[in-house]
Amino acid sequence: MPVVLGFEGSANKIGVGVVRDGEVLANPRRTYVTPPGTGFLPGDTARHHRAVILDLLQEALTEAGLTSQDIDCIAYTKGPGMGAPLASVAVVARTVAQLWNKPLLGVNHCIGHIEMGRLITGATSPTVLYVSGGNTQVIAYSEHRYRIFGETIDIAVGNCLDRFARVLKDVAERMLSTGECTPEDLCFSLQETVFAMLVEITERAMAHCGSQEALIVGGVGCNVRLQEMMETMCQERGAQLFATDERFCIDNGAMIAQAGWEMFQAGHRTPLSESGITQRYRTDEVEVTWRD
Amino acid sequence: MQAPQDDAGAGGTGDRAEAQGGSRNPGDSGSAGSSEGKGSLSGPGHLSDPRGLEGRSGCDGQGAHGGPESQSGPAREGAVGEVAVATPQCEQAAHAPGSRGDAGPMARGSRSRLLEFTLIVPFQSPLEADMAHRSLAPDTQRQPGVVQKEFTVNGSTLTIRWTAEDPVLFRISINSFLDRLSLVVRNIQRLGLPASLKQGRGKGPES
Repeated sequence: MPVVLGFEGSANKIGVGVVRDGEVLANPRRTYVTPPGTGFLPGDTARHHRAVILDLLQEALTEAGLTSQDIDCIAYTKGPGMGAPLASVAVVARTVAQLWNKPLLGVNHCIGHIEMGRLITGATSPTVLYVSGGNTQVIAYSEHRYRIFGETIDIAVGNCLDRFARVLKDVAERMLSTGECTPEDLCFSLQETVFAMLVEITERAMAHCGSQEALIVGGVGCNVRLQEMMETMCQERGAQLFATDERFCIDNGAMIAQAGWEMFQAGHRTPLSESGITQRYRTDEVEVTWRD
Repeated sequence: MQAPQDDAGAGGTGDRAEAQGGSRNPGDSGSAGSSEGKGSLSGPGHLSDPRGLEGRSGCDGQGAHGGPESQSGPAREGAVGEVAVATPQCEQAAHAPGSRGDAGPMARGSRSRLLEFTLIVPFQSPLEADMAHRSLAPDTQRQPGVVQKEFTVNGSTLTIRWTAEDPVLFRISINSFLDRLSLVVRNIQRLGLPASLKQGRGKGPES
C-alpha cells in the first residue's frame, strides 16, 4: 500500500497532497492572488510559494495522520509551468527526498490532472479536455502515451478569458461607448465562442477514437456553462461526461501524488541528477507504462 | 504552456532589496547559527561581518558585503551556514554596453567583460553541503551558456561560481539562487537530519 507525497506549484497555486492506494489522505493548497487587473509574475509567485511550502508540507502530514516514515515516495511537478515557481517547489521535493531517504519522481503536470480525473470520476478511457489558465489540450490515450489531439497555439483559454478584462478596458472602448453592446455581451460572446470550439474539437477527437467517455480537467473545467455544453454534446452522442469539483479541477498536490503513485508502482524513478524542472514538458513525452 | 516565459529559476525582476544589503525574505525565520565565518572582504570602506560568509566578486575584489540583519547566534543544532550577499560594484560592469535597459542595440564587441561572482557557503557538515548541492544543482538556465554556474563541494563547504556577460541575467541568476538556497537551509532546519541518514542507512533518491 504505497503512500505518495506530491508537490505542485507550477502556477499560482501551491499544494501538497498525500495519496495511498487511490485514497486522497490530504490535499492542502494556497493560492497566490494578485490585485484585480494584474496578473501573477514568476518571481513574486515563487516567493509566495517559498513562504508557505514548508507549512503546507506539515499540514499535509498532519491531515493525513502520517509521519515521514509512512511516505514511500516524493513526487513533484517537473513541468510544464513557470520556471521560478517550479524550481522553488522542486528544491524542496529534492531536499525532503534526501532528508527522508525516499525515491523521487518528477511528474508531468498535465498527466497529474488526467490521472486525478480518472481516479476521482472512475472514467476508464476518456477523451480528456484539459483546459486551464496555462494549458488547453484535447488528449486521448493510445499505446502508452497521452496523445495530444488538439491544443491552442497561442494562449490558453483561461488566460484568454482573464486577459479579456483588459481588452474590455481599452480596445473595446469604442464599441462600448456607442452603446452597440455591453461588456456582458462581449464576455458572453467570447465565452460561448471559445467553449463551442472546445466542445467541437473534443467531439472530433471522440469520433476519431470511437470514445464514449469525455473528461474535463483543469481550472476552467469548473465553469458550469462549459460543463453544460459538453454534456449536451455527450448526450447527443450517447457518451458519458465526467468532471471533478474545484478541489481537483484546480491545480493541487494530490493530483501529482496520484500520478506519482501510478508511476511509482510501474517502477519509474527520477534520479536527482535528472530532476531539473522544465518549463516545456509535452504531455506525450511521458511513457505511460502503467496503462495497457 | 502558453504562460509568460521566464528563465528557469529566474527570480523575476532584478531590482530587489533582498539581494543588495542582505535583507531577508519575510517568510524566513531567523535561520541563524553559522559555523565560523570567513572574515571580511578586502577593499576600503566596506563593512565586515565576521559571522557572514565570503562572497567574492571577480572585479578588483571590491564589493559591498552585506550580512543578515538578524545577528546569528551560536550554532544551533541542525542549523546550516548563513549566506551573505556580495554585490559586485565593478565600474566595468556598471558601464557595460547594453546594461541598464539601454534601448540601443547590444553592441558589445571588445568592450564586453566577463562578470564573475563566487559564493562560499559553509554548512554544519559535509552531508548537508552535499545535500544542498544535490537539491540546487539540477535546475539549469534555459539557455545554457548565457550564465554559467559551477558547483563545488569541499568538505562542509559548498561553493558556487557564476560567470556571465549579461549583467541583468547575472544578477537574476544569483538572486534567485540565493532565494532557493535560503529555502533549502530552512527546509533542512525545519525537518532536521534524521539519525539514520547520518549513519548512511536506507535507500534514498538515486543520485
